[in-house]
Amino acid sequence: MTESTRRTHLYKFHKQSGRITLFAGFEMPLWYKGIIPEHMTVRNKVGVFDISHMGRALISGPESEAFLNYVTTNDVARLTPLSAHYSTMCNEKGGIKDDFILSRLEPDKFFMVYNAANRTKNYEWLVQHSKSFNVKVEDVSDIIAMFAVQGPKAQETLQKIADSDLSKIERFKCGWTKLAGVNVFLSRTGYTGEDGFEIFVWDTSLSNPAKAEKVWNAILETGKDFGIEPCGLGARDTLRLEAGMCLYGNDIDENTTPLEARLGFVVKFKKENFIGKDALLKQKAEGVKRKRVGLRMLEKSIPRPNYEVWKNGQIIGRVTSGTFSPVLQCGIAVAYVPTEHAVKDSMVMVKIRGKLVKAEVVKFPFYDPIRYGYRRQNNAGAGL
Amino acid sequence: MQVLDYDIPDNLYYSKEHEWIKIEGETAVIGITDYAQESLHEIVYVETPKVGSQIEQFQTMGSVESIKSVSDLFVPVSGKIMEINAYLAESPELLNEDPYGKGWIAKVQLANFSEDLKKLLTAEQYADYVRSLEE
Repeated sequence: MTESTRRTHLYKFHKQSGRITLFAGFEMPLWYKGIIPEHMTVRNKVGVFDISHMGRALISGPESEAFLNYVTTNDVARLTPLSAHYSTMCNEKGGIKDDFILSRLEPDKFFMVYNAANRTKNYEWLVQHSKSFNVKVEDVSDIIAMFAVQGPKAQETLQKIADSDLSKIERFKCGWTKLAGVNVFLSRTGYTGEDGFEIFVWDTSLSNPAKAEKVWNAILETGKDFGIEPCGLGARDTLRLEAGMCLYGNDIDENTTPLEARLGFVVKFKKENFIGKDALLKQKAEGVKRKRVGLRMLEKSIPRPNYEVWKNGQIIGRVTSGTFSPVLQCGIAVAYVPTEHAVKDSMVMVKIRGKLVKAEVVKFPFYDPIRYGYRRQNNAGAGL
Repeated sequence: MQVLDYDIPDNLYYSKEHEWIKIEGETAVIGITDYAQESLHEIVYVETPKVGSQIEQFQTMGSVESIKSVSDLFVPVSGKIMEINAYLAESPELLNEDPYGKGWIAKVQLANFSEDLKKLLTAEQYADYVRSLEE
């Protein structure tokens, strides 16, 4: 371990039960049993992830709504207390600084959860732009442990140790409750495409991890009835990819706009002003030239980041994320291609280790939303 | 022998790229080692060479892909590919489950084994090499 690597409250558990990988400066579990079994456990039952490495900030004060409406692209005025939404922050050119979930705790208090790799960058950006507003920005990353409980059995699992009715918390709503006697903040959000909750254990520092460990162990214990597994970052990545969700640094970055990334639904042009608005309006008026698409490989091959996408003898784009899909049992990828090719069923080729392999453009999510994911129809049967 | 958590059978030769070679008369059976399958974990594709192709020692003959990574497969001996394990197309996980048995990859008709041998490791030497990697 070099001096700069960091650990979460659960490091001891990860080290004992899993394979450790370095991610965004953190020693995190890549997997415990394996990426594929963990992935399928989340799709069919329930899994728990330690995601305490993520960045978290509190924004409070009388002008917090105005400030957040200026610095983010979604409409914060429409966010009622104890609701959450997905959003982006952009630079002046409309490039994405980060994507995140914003929750409104109280009328004048917000909670932002962003990517681990952007912890410092985001905090500095928020502080820099907060100066002309009556707001306070606090980095609370290090005093909160964060777990995700994801899968069709997530609510049933947590209900057994919760002291309030979790069915009352709808998707993208949040609230305070006790889990195993510990006060936590919960939001019905996630990064897997499945139903589930993200759990925030407040006031538990790395030097005092008892509360975090108590909640983690209670979840694993109570989840046994449903076949719960601890899941690592490997499954987290394959799950989000199958769901068509972006990974910052791969699929989106400061040179990619939300419109190119098909995140236009979190850009609210009706707002008076926000950073990047002019650039994004201009791009919208001129037409978006390239778009993020899903590719499904038609032959046995796994696309990976940076592989070239070809059409009619020319390179038309590059893969930004790719993997083997445990649900579809084939290679899948996210790529940027010119808008004219970003249409469902369009055929392209991916150059995989010197060979051009056929792929088709498909819609997100990659899986059948009737059988998998939070909108699945009950008993539609993900029987594996 | 067992080194750390890895199985390293005494009767095989090894390469530093973590392939094993089993000599059966004029033929060599080749595959990847327990250490290799454990490092890759969850192998989902194996790209194998064409039967009949002539290959020089340490030339690439295909690849092994897990969810997280892709590794070249090198032929540790020179010769002609006689047979490939047809089961790997449908069941690449055989490499994880039984790397020295059902997970064999190819059979090669040896061309120049006495020369190739100089660049191969015995089980003992390979065990030392694996230990050095884990330090």
